[in-house]
Amino acid sequence: MTEQANLIYLDYAASTPVDPWVAEAMTALMTADGNYANPSSTHIAGRRSVEFIRHATGQLAALLNTDPGCLIWTSGATESDNLAILGAAHYRQVRGQHLITMRTEHKAVTDPFNTLQKQGFEVTWLDPETDGLLDIAKLAAALRDDTQLVSIMHINNETGVTQDIEQLGRLCHERGCLFHVDAAQSVGKLPIDLATLPVDLMSMTAHKVYGPKGIGALYIADRPGVHVDPLLFGGGQQRNLRPGTLPAQQIVGFGAAAAIAQSRMIDDRKHLGAMRDRLWSGIRDIPGISTNGAMECAFAGILNVSIEDVEGESLMLALEPLCVATGSACNSKSQEPSYVLRALGRSDELAQSAIRFSFGRPTRSQDIDVAIELYRNAISKLRGMAPERAA
Amino acid sequence: MSNDPYGAQVRALFDTPAHAGCLAGALSARVEDQGVRVCLYAELAGGKIRALRFQAWGCPHVIAAVEAFCAGYEGRLAAELLEFSASDLMQSLSVPVEKTGRILVIEDTVRALGSIARETSISDN
Repeated sequence: MTEQANLIYLDYAASTPVDPWVAEAMTALMTADGNYANPSSTHIAGRRSVEFIRHATGQLAALLNTDPGCLIWTSGATESDNLAILGAAHYRQVRGQHLITMRTEHKAVTDPFNTLQKQGFEVTWLDPETDGLLDIAKLAAALRDDTQLVSIMHINNETGVTQDIEQLGRLCHERGCLFHVDAAQSVGKLPIDLATLPVDLMSMTAHKVYGPKGIGALYIADRPGVHVDPLLFGGGQQRNLRPGTLPAQQIVGFGAAAAIAQSRMIDDRKHLGAMRDRLWSGIRDIPGISTNGAMECAFAGILNVSIEDVEGESLMLALEPLCVATGSACNSKSQEPSYVLRALGRSDELAQSAIRFSFGRPTRSQDIDVAIELYRNAISKLRGMAPERAA
Repeated sequence: MSNDPYGAQVRALFDTPAHAGCLAGALSARVEDQGVRVCLYAELAGGKIRALRFQAWGCPHVIAAVEAFCAGYEGRLAAELLEFSASDLMQSLSVPVEKTGRILVIEDTVRALGSIARETSISDN
């Protein structure tokens, strides 16, 4: 615990701290003097809990400019992705069994698609361009009459590259298939207007936007043909789509986090951009350094860099007490190079040397300056003890 | 139970590798395999190892292990290099079994250095 004070945390794409106002709102629903009742109960205390949930759902719906009735509460983005992809594919399988996604999606998306492949669905895996973006012509060429679902993430969790979901979604709708967006990294950070965006299903989570862990949501558009089969059964809550006792305090936390995000989104983005630019300015002159994913089409909260002639695992250790990520946090115990960076055409060695810096509201200029010093020193140390490459 | 992949000894050896560097004009051996590069330098005197240095490109366990080897073999007989086994280092540094191949690159480099030392000794005689 005493180490906490010395840490420089630049891993906000993995998780953010809970905003104090959010924590306060949640606490009020957890203790004996608060509204802890089961919202499924019909007594007065239960009905109060329902009111809190209704208010929070309204806050999230306002952030996304959608009808609260289109939101289903889940345990997080992973469950939302699973429910969207497995649920939509199964619901629409009588119409066709062809599905499309990208190789650079999060495991919470690729694994459900792998599962569907084993069940007999046909999946087309699209590669990004070297800048990380999906060429819409590739999607157009992959779409077929029997394509039922396309799933493309909004902000890539490793590189920050941001796809044009409006353009991609419009094409999907022209071709009569559903469009799912994993927006775990973008909800509360980029403007999202679901009243106008051609998106049918959108996954999101609270803990990337200063809300609590353990709560997420799935947006399901109120349009004909847009529906998912449930993954869980028992209880009938949330129109049978996702049964189980609603965690009122978590939902209230997500709602409060959404409201705060809506009120400070512009300031947040300015701050993140300033932090990223300061860091990049401090390291861009190091020989052999390069960004993964083009910065001009990436979210300002993430900077992913690779470096030649430096071993990635040693780099991570040499960077302590800097808290950053190599691959995605969900995959960080693996020694395998990031499949996302490999899909961008990076060599194993460059992918393995990748460091993802991600910034948040608490990030200060001093943190960035320490990070620059630690990174430069680590590179210098490791290169200094490495033998020359064989000719 | 700690979930730190590196023990205190590995961290200490990695943080301050006192034998990192090279020795001009010394015997040297280099092996590159398993995504690891190890280069060892040795100064000998009277059949004994007077000084060892290393250069390495690899994970923290590799760097810690090669530093531990250098620290432990200065002053010993050069002939012992030929009998070096990495298994003791694997054990003392709690190297994960999946990294065995990488640590064996150190063993290969040490034995190659031992062979060079023996040939040098024969030609000197």
